[in-house]
Amino acid sequence: MKNEYIPQLSAIREVIRHTDLEYTFRMEFSGDVKPGQFFEISLPKFGEAPISVSGIGPDTVDFTIRRVGKVTNEIFENYVGDTLYIRGPYGNGFDIDNYRGKELVVVAGGTGLSPVKGVVDYFAAHREEAADVTLIAGFKSPGDVLFKEDFEIWKRSIHVIQTVDWAPEGYEGPVGMVTKYIPDLKFTDIANSSFICVGPPVMIRFTVQEILKLGVPEENIWVSHERKMCCGLGKCGHCRIGSTYICLDGPVFNYVEGKNLID
Amino acid sequence: MGYQLSKPDADRLFQAWTRQYDVFAPVRMEGEGCFSDTDILRYGQVTSLDQILWDQKSDYSMKEVLLSINETLFYFTEDQTTVPGGPRKDLLIFLKACDLHAVKRLDEIYLKNGFEDFYYRRVRERAHFILMGCENTCDTGFCVSMGTNQAEDYDAYMKVEGRQVLLDVRWEALAPDRKSQEPDQDSLSLPSLCQTEVSPDYVTENKEKVTLPRSLSNESFTREIWQEYGSRCIGCGRCNFVCPTCTCFTMQDIFYQDNPRAGERRRVWASCQVDGYTDMAGGHSYRKSQGDRMRFKVMHKIHDFKVRTGYTMCVGCGRCDAVCPEYISYANCISRLAKEEEVPHEK
Amino acid sequence: MGLDINTKKLKKNAFRVSKKRGLGASRIRVPGGYLNAEVLGMVQEIAQTYGNGYVHLTTRQGFEIEGIRLEDMDEINRKLQPIIQLLDINQKEPGTGYPASGTRNISACIGNNVCPFANYNTAQLAKRIEKEVFPNDLHFKIALTGCPNDCAKARMHDFGIIGMTMPQYNPDRCVACQACIKGCKSLSVNALRLENYKIKRDEEKCVGCGVCVTKCPTRAFTRSARKYYKLTIMGRTGKKNPRLGEDFLVWADADNIIKIILNTYRFVDKYISPDAPARKEHIGYIIDRVGFEEYKKWALEGVELLPETLVKECVYWSGIHFD
Repeated sequence: MKNEYIPQLSAIREVIRHTDLEYTFRMEFSGDVKPGQFFEISLPKFGEAPISVSGIGPDTVDFTIRRVGKVTNEIFENYVGDTLYIRGPYGNGFDIDNYRGKELVVVAGGTGLSPVKGVVDYFAAHREEAADVTLIAGFKSPGDVLFKEDFEIWKRSIHVIQTVDWAPEGYEGPVGMVTKYIPDLKFTDIANSSFICVGPPVMIRFTVQEILKLGVPEENIWVSHERKMCCGLGKCGHCRIGSTYICLDGPVFNYVEGKNLID
Repeated sequence: MGYQLSKPDADRLFQAWTRQYDVFAPVRMEGEGCFSDTDILRYGQVTSLDQILWDQKSDYSMKEVLLSINETLFYFTEDQTTVPGGPRKDLLIFLKACDLHAVKRLDEIYLKNGFEDFYYRRVRERAHFILMGCENTCDTGFCVSMGTNQAEDYDAYMKVEGRQVLLDVRWEALAPDRKSQEPDQDSLSLPSLCQTEVSPDYVTENKEKVTLPRSLSNESFTREIWQEYGSRCIGCGRCNFVCPTCTCFTMQDIFYQDNPRAGERRRVWASCQVDGYTDMAGGHSYRKSQGDRMRFKVMHKIHDFKVRTGYTMCVGCGRCDAVCPEYISYANCISRLAKEEEVPHEK
Repeated sequence: MGLDINTKKLKKNAFRVSKKRGLGASRIRVPGGYLNAEVLGMVQEIAQTYGNGYVHLTTRQGFEIEGIRLEDMDEINRKLQPIIQLLDINQKEPGTGYPASGTRNISACIGNNVCPFANYNTAQLAKRIEKEVFPNDLHFKIALTGCPNDCAKARMHDFGIIGMTMPQYNPDRCVACQACIKGCKSLSVNALRLENYKIKRDEEKCVGCGVCVTKCPTRAFTRSARKYYKLTIMGRTGKKNPRLGEDFLVWADADNIIKIILNTYRFVDKYISPDAPARKEHIGYIIDRVGFEEYKKWALEGVELLPETLVKECVYWSGIHFD
């Protein structure tokens, strides 16, 4: 039988530096993968970390990694011309079919943009497949903005609000939390709306509150949860909430189910 | 098929087993208890029937035989990973009914629930279970309440009764009158062996009785019970480590100090009660209070697991109650939840 | 007819002359402070029959029955006999009370009969030492304590015996929960750290208190089969130079500690000042006079220490000097 714990060596094709703390690693991978799924990425001797897929190429997957812990620190220090170990993909990911023909709004905070970026990429490239597409992406400050080049591409085909929580004087772009922009959203048919909401737990909570105020039915909202997923296989227990294993049943949940996930 | 044989013959039979199998049973580890001059009862490899604790519940369950506390998943050197070998022999594990029911729960997580676990599977498929009966109830167990006081799917049942030993064999390979498959040996000479009806001892009443709440919901999350237990719990994790149905682990990567190019990845038992269980890179964590952690554990044991699998996780062995240094009774907690349920909950 | 009493004999017989003329007190030794409650009834009876009905619980865990008439001493000695027998005190002649009082009651904390921190049965070892050293008129104070918390204040005694355990670490059972590290840091000497997800113990620092063992939820840390002790020497209170006892042996065994105590009796016998009142001179002062080197020679005579026992080559005492 297959030993799911054994990772595969994968070459780093390219490293895209967004900020000092956030890089995207383009890794060799061939196989089926959906946006919103995650891999366990590891540097042997330092450990594994669950990282969402932030882009999907013909024979590559992108991982946008924020340098926040032991493993990611080491990855940043030691990647040069190198390889990483990966295993996956795990989790359900976003199902593009759920958003086809919808007035789609994607609300993302910080690195929360990574898991949903594949969805944005898809509808930016196949704009006609959705009734309308809006991306509201929030970052802490102008220096924290990720995927700058992608934003330029997205702006050509979809509505993009790229906001920052805080900016120095003289900054010209939008400033404020993502929630600020939700009440102003306009829909042709609110029943045909679809929301995807990804980011830190607090951000998700307040964003969903705002969305519900618009009169959007709960089943039109999708959220993605982050947890400490040690194994990705439904074994280690760390990501369980109630009877749900985020690594198996998620990380993407319809809000009808997702709202019951109480830690 | 049931048998009766003399103790000396049973010893001979057991010796034959130890040649063919690695035999694990609850034993007394003298002086290894928490406090000075106290013992601990836990699983160890045995070479004689007399080492086995027949009439006491082990402090730690059989799960450490099936799931090593530290399990090396693989070794790495430069660009290679090497998986360590599995068990060399089949295992015979002596256990009580509660623990045999717990094996089903371990199987549920490690063989089902998403992916099949390579490491568990290779031990599990070589593991055979010898049931030990319970003539009397233990102090803290509530197997009758949980319906785990009787177990059927054993490979053999064994009881030492003075100079006689009773045996019920369901897995043919353990039958004492079976022709030996070791080529250099004739079948065992067991002159006292005779066939007889044998049915396992089991208890029909415990000192501890538990009523399960009929339904639990998010409502139970706000109950003051959790705050109260939370203020008492010290988060040591003993309840998880002794539990035969707790299965959580954490990954650890290490490199060898004398050869930093090589190292290993292992998985190590984890406890949802101990700090760090939900820590994510970057510092965020969930369920910071002990009360929330206790609720998380209790809800899993009597509710959440069942939602997923259709049956209750807890087997009522009562080890968690026996081990808690702060005298928190999980059994009483469940009964309290059930009692509160009868009274309409006020927010 | 006036009272004609040999007070020197009276004192050696474990009575005390009190400040009230004609009245004294009877002192009952209870090695390890551990007794069958039956003894309490006997003490009560003596106190109510011969004394003023009051009993002092002594600082050394004995009883002192107050207000007895000195002429009743023989009668009281006969009444003490069942107590002496129940507590298994060495005696020369039954019915004559205690044959000596110089070597004080061996006191002890409650030990591992009850206390979760204790590393050994203090009462048992106290009784064993009592059997070895009593009766003796030399002024020796010995106390036993279960762990380095030293609740018995063993370090204030000529010999302080502090229970230790050599932590046995089984990395295969360790889940890196760090309960031991936290426990050692908050309750003891911070001798543990995590390295490669396993525990490293600073052997120099470790005091053998066993907190890691009691905190460990998986039995990765257990106690050594052998019981170890720290032997501190020459602590004392007093008028001239009160001082804390200093470590002499660390990771020592009970047999050798008893040998050292017995050797010390011979040492004192040899070197005690001829001017010492009632042959009562603190051992520490004798060592101050003749030198630690000489004491060590005597103390370690015939002693074969365990390989792991650490012996302090030099011991210096400080304390407060009033002389």
